[in-house]
Amino acid sequence: MDNVRNFCIIAHIDHGKSTLADRLIQACNAVEERKFRDQILDQMDIERERGITIKSNTVTLLYDAQDGERYKLNLIDTPGHVDFSHEVRRSLMSCEGALLVVDASQGVEAQTVANLYLALEYDLELVPVINKIDLPSADIDRVAEEIDEDLGLDPFEAVQTSAKNGVGIDNVLEAIVTKLPAPQGDPAAPLQALIFDAQYDAYRGVVLLVRVKEGTLRPGRKIQLMHTEKEYDVEEVGLLQLERKKDDKLEAGAVGYVIAGIKAVRDIAIGDTITEADNAAAEPLPGYKEAKPVVFSSIYPMSTDDYEDLTKALDKLALNDAAITYEKDSSSALGFGFRCGFLGLLHLDVVQERLKREYGLSLLLSAPSVKYRVLLEDGEELEVENPMFFPDPANIATTWEPFIKAAIMMPERYIGAVMDLCRERRGVNTTFSYLAVGRVELTSEMPLAEVLFDFYDKLKTITQGYGSFDYELLDYRESDLVKVDILVNSEPVDALAQLVHRDKARQRALHYCEKLAETIPKQQFKIAIQGAIGGKIIARSTIGAFRKDVTAKCYGGDITRKRKLLEKQREGKKRMKMVGAVEIPQAAFVAVLKSETDK
Amino acid sequence: MLPGVYLHVPFCATVCPYCDFAVLVGDGDRRERFVASLIREIELWGTATTPELVGADTIYFGGGTPSMLAPEQLGRILEALRARLPVAREPWISLEANPEDVTVESARAWSDLGIRTLSLGVQSFDRKALEFLGRVHDPDAGRRAVELALEAGFDSVSIDLIYGLPGQDEAAWRADLEAALALGPDHLSCYQLTVHRKTVFGVRKRRGELVEMPDDQQAELFLFTHRFLNDAGFQGYEVSNFARAPEHRSRHNMKYWNHTPYLGLGPSAHSYSGRRRWWNHRSVGPWERAIEAGERPVQESEELSDRQLALESVMLKMRTYAGVDLAETRGEVGLDPAIDRAVLERLIAGDLVVRAGSVIRPTVRGLAVADTLARDLLS
Ligand SMILES: Nc1nc2c(ncn2[C@@H]2O[C@H](COP(=O)(O)OP(=O)(O)O)[C@@H](O)[C@H]2O)c(=O)[nH]1
Ligand code: SF4
Repeated sequence: MDNVRNFCIIAHIDHGKSTLADRLIQACNAVEERKFRDQILDQMDIERERGITIKSNTVTLLYDAQDGERYKLNLIDTPGHVDFSHEVRRSLMSCEGALLVVDASQGVEAQTVANLYLALEYDLELVPVINKIDLPSADIDRVAEEIDEDLGLDPFEAVQTSAKNGVGIDNVLEAIVTKLPAPQGDPAAPLQALIFDAQYDAYRGVVLLVRVKEGTLRPGRKIQLMHTEKEYDVEEVGLLQLERKKDDKLEAGAVGYVIAGIKAVRDIAIGDTITEADNAAAEPLPGYKEAKPVVFSSIYPMSTDDYEDLTKALDKLALNDAAITYEKDSSSALGFGFRCGFLGLLHLDVVQERLKREYGLSLLLSAPSVKYRVLLEDGEELEVENPMFFPDPANIATTWEPFIKAAIMMPERYIGAVMDLCRERRGVNTTFSYLAVGRVELTSEMPLAEVLFDFYDKLKTITQGYGSFDYELLDYRESDLVKVDILVNSEPVDALAQLVHRDKARQRALHYCEKLAETIPKQQFKIAIQGAIGGKIIARSTIGAFRKDVTAKCYGGDITRKRKLLEKQREGKKRMKMVGAVEIPQAAFVAVLKSETDK
Repeated sequence: MLPGVYLHVPFCATVCPYCDFAVLVGDGDRRERFVASLIREIELWGTATTPELVGADTIYFGGGTPSMLAPEQLGRILEALRARLPVAREPWISLEANPEDVTVESARAWSDLGIRTLSLGVQSFDRKALEFLGRVHDPDAGRRAVELALEAGFDSVSIDLIYGLPGQDEAAWRADLEAALALGPDHLSCYQLTVHRKTVFGVRKRRGELVEMPDDQQAELFLFTHRFLNDAGFQGYEVSNFARAPEHRSRHNMKYWNHTPYLGLGPSAHSYSGRRRWWNHRSVGPWERAIEAGERPVQESEELSDRQLALESVMLKMRTYAGVDLAETRGEVGLDPAIDRAVLERLIAGDLVVRAGSVIRPTVRGLAVADTLARDLLS
């Protein structure tokens, strides 16, 4: 156990986390060059494109240190986004130390600080790494100063690297061995292993990634997952060296994988503790939190013919995404689809991207919603996350919506603008505190629904990229909730209905009306677009009828061309969604719905 | 209705900046070669033409500017037609002419050839408008051409006008129409300016140098044109065509909107046999080469399905005041265009079409959006 180190790398985006990981792997020959793909830990395309790591991956490096000993270095990759903060926490819980990478030319950034605080929360030992020292713009002295002042770490401990050029990699490895503590634990104690990630393997089922805290995991034993209380037989354990490497046991302090005949990721819970069925630990490890969907949206295939494909795609996707929930849904305007639940907006985005990219589906998503609580006059209580099922306001006694505690970290100078943003988003009890000189953490209690709509982007713009944002669910609070219907020539378009706070209703309705007016082409009649609460119109726009659409000349030679054009238009008409007598092109739905989720 | 024959003469004195026809500026030799090829094409068709095209009773010289051919050349073409193709004994012959080609002599010569309708490409009686349109003649030349044509005693004299020029207002257009009516023609074709992509105007539009009249104004001007001419006794019968009396309607052009077969000869000419459409090579070169090789210069053809025929039928007829008679379409072509009842009711309520028995006709407002009527009406 003395020869084991469990660590992760934390960094602001683009500071070189993935590149450094690659170099460490190469240096330890964990991969043959031939197989080496750059940035091997970032597996999924989507992650690579967005520069974020969503699914954490882990690798065990065998390192022959200068002291002549061979060490097992377990590098645990951490996802980098708030929606997945529970996953980050879980990864951190599996480590004793972390490399904190800082770009030599950019210096300490907001996210570096956020990550630092998270790491400190878990009592991790930290080794600063100043990367990209090869850059002409590198300013190592300044960065060292920032490491001292902003992070409170010892700049003399910092290892200087150029991950790109492979400079300083050995020093990093030595620092891991010498500066980071070895794990502790008793291989003979009752088993306690933390599940910090899970992958799906088409042949073997679910592969659990675990950190053994106490005891020993062995094949052939019956294990119990303490929270779900399910039991399985261990089929195989081993180390992750990019490929799975079978072993005869995983002892306290180890990081590795377990295969135990588990069918789908949804059968287990990340953060759960594995123990032995007939020699159970007294209690599970701390930190377990059920990952419950908090953001909901309906997903429809662009073409109704693709519904079957969407069904299959979701079934498959759910095999290795334990957090997504989905059930059949239908809209008169958009046809059959699924009402899906997500951990957050990013999770929603990732799922949407994967459905598009991995399954080639063209999709339409309804405006994201949270789950509201409704008390009816007759005493019945409901949970509503789909505006279609919002009860008649006349029968509603009270409504509640989920509140979060938002934590925003940023340089002091942005505090005024960020406080305004929070106020605008119905934030209450906004307070702030200094983390370090010039750095503030602002906390605000605000409705979750308010961060679903272009909050991240606004924040990023306001803080010029220096703001970081994290949140946790607080509670449900009473709220004056209304359902806004969007009517096209007096017909409600079900897929566009939404639940919002009364104060925001007009603004939202107006936005929809205007977007639709921009994107629905003129037709033979005037089209009225209205936003309404109950029967009351709160916003409107109109699309004038087109009044001229005829070619001046149509003689012998023009007929084929004209007919072909008509045929094409009629083909296009099939893809239009009819609301009453109005043809709404899908592009209009896309434009309206996109303008919010993508902002 | 009996079929028609269309002859495309691709020559023009200059190419107008708005023109997207297959035209070229050709000298005398070029024109003579063309006439020879056209006669050769007529021979290639010969009597082997499909039965639907037998007995053509209209012959139409269009272009281009067919008046650029010498009367003697036109005469040879007509002779070949009569000798080689199964046309009617006394076909109604029409000729498109540019004002500068109309003289006492040419008018007489055309008349002697049996030409009964002269269609004059005057375009405007307004000097500025003519300049904008890049026309070589001035307003007086236009006027004189019409007078000469009327004096020469053609059965029908038609004037082509273009309106909806950038910046043109109703008063200016009205003055143009009045100038035309004052000359006493039998027929008017009023085309709203369309800026095609591959034209000088198209390029200028893309560069932002030419700004088209806004849609709403175009619509207003369109409605005004129909109102004004109908009131003046020039009854509209198609989107762009008006006649002093029913017998002055373009006998040949009506066939296009009626779904009557026609044979097209010359480069870019299209033909329709009632089931099939085919069209010649667009450019003179390939057209000529095919003929030289002893082949019909057809570039492509298509067989029409029942659905396509129904679509065409409704599309074309909804361009006319007469509209579509569903009973007739059923009887004639054996087709039953499936009309979307709900759309029909909406169009009626919106004053875009009226229905009388089995006939659906567009109103003038409906004509203004005729391109969409067929699209929406057919379910
Ligand atoms: N010049 C230089 N560029 C580097 C170095 N390390 C990483 N990069 C580049 O910085 C960018 C971000 O690196 P990456 O490892 O993807 O960062 P991550 O977002 O923290 O994982 C990439 O373009 C790398 O090639 C370095 O030491 N020197
Ligand atoms: S005269 Fe007619 S065919 Fe010739 S270029 Fe002008 S518009 Fe085109």
